[in-house]
Amino acid sequence: MLALVSILIFVILRLLPGDPTIARVGAAQNIDPRALAALREELGLNDPIPVQYWAWISGIFAGDLGRSYFSQFDVEVLIGQRLVPTLELSLAGLTLAVLFAVVLAVLPTVVRSRWLSRFVGGYTTLGMASPPFVFGIVLIAIFTVQLDILPNDGYVPPSEDLAGNLRMLFMPALTLGICLSAPLIRYLRASLAEVENSQHVRTATGKGIRRRAVVLRHVLPNAMLPALTSLGITVGAVLSGAVVVEYVFRWPGLGSLIVDSVYKRDYAVIQSTVLLLAAVFVLVNLLVDLLYGVLDPRLRVGKVAS
Amino acid sequence: MTALDPGAGAPLGDLPDPGAGGPGETAGPGLARRFLRRPAAVVALGVLGVLVVLAVIAPFLLASPTEIHATNKFAEPSFAHLFGTDELGRDLFSRVAHAGQLSLGFAAGATVIAMVIGTSWGMLAAARSGWVDEVLMRIAEAALAIPIILFALVFVAAFGSDLGAMTLVAGLLMSPLTARIARSAVLAELKGEYVHGLAAVGVSRTRILFSEVLPNALPALLAQASLNVATSLMLEATLSFVGLGIQPPQASWGTLLKVGYDRLFESIWYPLMPVLVIVVAIGALNTIGDQLQRVLHRSGG
Repeated sequence: MLALVSILIFVILRLLPGDPTIARVGAAQNIDPRALAALREELGLNDPIPVQYWAWISGIFAGDLGRSYFSQFDVEVLIGQRLVPTLELSLAGLTLAVLFAVVLAVLPTVVRSRWLSRFVGGYTTLGMASPPFVFGIVLIAIFTVQLDILPNDGYVPPSEDLAGNLRMLFMPALTLGICLSAPLIRYLRASLAEVENSQHVRTATGKGIRRRAVVLRHVLPNAMLPALTSLGITVGAVLSGAVVVEYVFRWPGLGSLIVDSVYKRDYAVIQSTVLLLAAVFVLVNLLVDLLYGVLDPRLRVGKVAS
Repeated sequence: MTALDPGAGAPLGDLPDPGAGGPGETAGPGLARRFLRRPAAVVALGVLGVLVVLAVIAPFLLASPTEIHATNKFAEPSFAHLFGTDELGRDLFSRVAHAGQLSLGFAAGATVIAMVIGTSWGMLAAARSGWVDEVLMRIAEAALAIPIILFALVFVAAFGSDLGAMTLVAGLLMSPLTARIARSAVLAELKGEYVHGLAAVGVSRTRILFSEVLPNALPALLAQASLNVATSLMLEATLSFVGLGIQPPQASWGTLLKVGYDRLFESIWYPLMPVLVIVVAIGALNTIGDQLQRVLHRSGG
């Protein structure tokens, strides 16, 4: 699967015109064509495409992701610098999203108010219809432009200034959290409605257990399981959401690394970073599948008696 | 993107139902009539219609989007300028309406490409089960393994931001999902008794596929087309927003949004108005797709 993905990325990038050496040397008019040719040779751009592909892939297995055509840094170094901010943003966003989703999906089943249920419905529709950066712009308009209490961009590592880091993390994480929560709420509500109609819930209600206890102890745990599947899809949304949200807040993560590299046509950086993100996506989905078996004994493949 | 999840949608609230009560007992197909009885569907269709009409009539009716009033920069929304004005005093409402041509045109083009490729892909897989099906669907899965935005960025790095190329790329990116939908719709139809009947009478398989099965699968494909338009609008807005989509002399909703975002500190209305239009358009399209799917599932399709 990943092999197919890697070939796809590579072929698309190499198939088309656009020469990274030009970007590296700069747009100066009078470059010695021989210097350009030497550079191409040095970067291995003259080799046949399968050879280039093999050089890239065998490098990855040896722990070498290639070197930026542009800045001359190793791609591992570039990714290493950007990894922590992206991880921090993704985890914070995902946590907020799950929090919002559980609260907003469960509340209407406990409280049973028409208006509340409409509010959640409206929130979901709005969240599904908004590109990830939209809430970022709205938040900046409120907190930075109108109230002037939060910075609209910047980053400090948490090791240097934890409070400052959290202040800067607040808006990007909230943006990501809101846009991720909408689809999660949908899955969770559908799943809740299904469990709601099952027999053990009717029994619990019949026994006279209070509504809140029924929902929290009997409905929710059973509804979480099918909703777990959507977490795999959500990880894809985290990755693509992070790309754009990072751009809005000038957050120095992998997403802005990709966007910068696309501007510079720095193929070496793009291909390795995108492949890394695709690998994360595939692995998380695999993990979710495995987790399923751990959490739900019914799905375990029984050992055949031999 | 989040717009890709089919499933339960949210009703738009207790709006009056313009579809009900009328004596609309025309001979139209039942599906369309049931679709139009849903208030949310009618509202969404209406909203989308208004946006399309605005984009089409913009050059004839509205103030010029290029007329500069240097004394009236960054005006707030008013009756004279519904959306306010931009950094050169141009009327933002008119600019957004004109930009709709490019955004909606791009989305429509990409959707047509996705539907043509995706439907053929899915139909071929469904009609030729066995290893052809297996190979075609594995490719679709691999392509779906990378989020669309990431894939689009890779494509932009290769093709550049040419409008035609971007339309083609968006269409290509949406075709694997469309293929999956088309495959399952066609497979469901192939199980129908009428297919066996026609085959027994000696009608050729190709003819059954194109003149019987395809028309029956059309509503499911239409629902997907609606979601595809929404996805391409989202893609255009996102790519243009990071500066890798439509390039500035040309105006789309995404580029207006980007320029507006850069001017956020001078006027918060400037970015918020294109945002509003984009969200409303995508919301309407998602609703249409959802409602269509619900009507389909009610009828057991």
